[in-house]
Amino acid sequence: MKFEHREIPEGINVTSVHPLRELAVLLSGAVVLIVAVVYILGLSAGFMAPYIPFEVEQKLAASFPVEEPESIEVDAYLQQVTGRVVEAMDLPEEVAITVHFLHGEKVSGDTVNAFATLGGHVVVFSGLLEKIPNENALAMLLAHEIAHVKHRDPIVSLTRGVTISSALGLLLGWSDLDLMGEAGVYTLLHFSRSMEQQADTEALHAVYKLYGHTQGASDLFEVINAWHQASGSGEGIELMQTHPLDQKRIKALKDLATANHWTEVGEITPLQQRFVDSLKGREGMLRFNR
Amino acid sequence: MTNLIIFLVLMTLGYLVGQMAEKRHYKSIIQREKRLSGMPAIASRFPPTDKRFDQCLVTGNTVVSVDYFKRFIAALRNLLGGRVTSYESLLDRARRESMLRMKEQAQAMGADYVFNVKYETASISKGRKNAIGSVEVLAYGTALIVCDRGTGHEI
Repeated sequence: MKFEHREIPEGINVTSVHPLRELAVLLSGAVVLIVAVVYILGLSAGFMAPYIPFEVEQKLAASFPVEEPESIEVDAYLQQVTGRVVEAMDLPEEVAITVHFLHGEKVSGDTVNAFATLGGHVVVFSGLLEKIPNENALAMLLAHEIAHVKHRDPIVSLTRGVTISSALGLLLGWSDLDLMGEAGVYTLLHFSRSMEQQADTEALHAVYKLYGHTQGASDLFEVINAWHQASGSGEGIELMQTHPLDQKRIKALKDLATANHWTEVGEITPLQQRFVDSLKGREGMLRFNR
Repeated sequence: MTNLIIFLVLMTLGYLVGQMAEKRHYKSIIQREKRLSGMPAIASRFPPTDKRFDQCLVTGNTVVSVDYFKRFIAALRNLLGGRVTSYESLLDRARRESMLRMKEQAQAMGADYVFNVKYETASISKGRKNAIGSVEVLAYGTALIVCDRGTGHEI
């Protein structure tokens, strides 16, 4: 018997496709898939979360430590303005707002920030309070955070975050596609940006209702913008930020006021003197302590 | 952002180096296959009976690893389904290289044929999902060496 070797033609066991072409096709497919999943889950979480009773939120929030107010004067004034803002915003009955003020040193230097979290808790950093020029801007700030609570944004964000991260975890967790998760994150940012815009709109409504004009409301964003520039944390690319760019927000507020024919010029209400003094006093005490 | 940069660097590196290594490997495979074409490797279990042969086990073993680029494409495939083309060439190379190594061993022994040739494939990455991504192919067979002494051994 004679055995011979026959040459096998090349390329039988390999599909001939350019690797870069395949990468492009697969990558776009995966991005579309992930964005669709995040978008659908994000929307459904947005629809479902508001049906979670506010009490559940409060119970969830009860696990966070609540600190005693550091300055009675500051706290009293904050509560007073909050009370007026809450009235102007006609919140649902069961929703209760609790304002805390936190001095930045505890967190990270002079943080100029404020946020609303689960259970109607609104936290304002002293770094921001110290820079606020008038009561109108303060009311705008509080109204913005209270609008988040009214829209149930904290619980919506939480539900969204949990569902989407578990879905992406299931989808991508076992492979080295972690980076693809960022496609999802950017879709999420889009959601939270629209939350901010709605909160701004609602807040300007409240300010107009309270003072009869919108003067001073945009001072808040001027302060934040000034801090952004000074701290060098910069504005950056809008796509990568949760919040709309400061200048855009100011312009959006102007447009809103014009569209509703709200008076944009009016008398500015100054901050209560005792409040300003005790904020400054606290500052002095801190310096001394150091 | 840093993640993205690291990712892009790894992808470019994986693609360029991986493609180069693959091209070079294929070139050498094709060359050596031509050279060893005189040594038939046969799957049949029954050797020719016209001559007496000495028999010896010959093996060829290859482990090939994936580059980052290939692994990323394969991971995307996991998401969307379809042929994992980036791993096809990997297995093809490993199989052919193993066969060549087996034949080279048989040739060194002075064999005429390799009979009862079989392949085994194993994944080295088993149990360590993302740490290593490599494939092992073992080719083995019975080398038949013609006995010069005439009498030979019993089969």
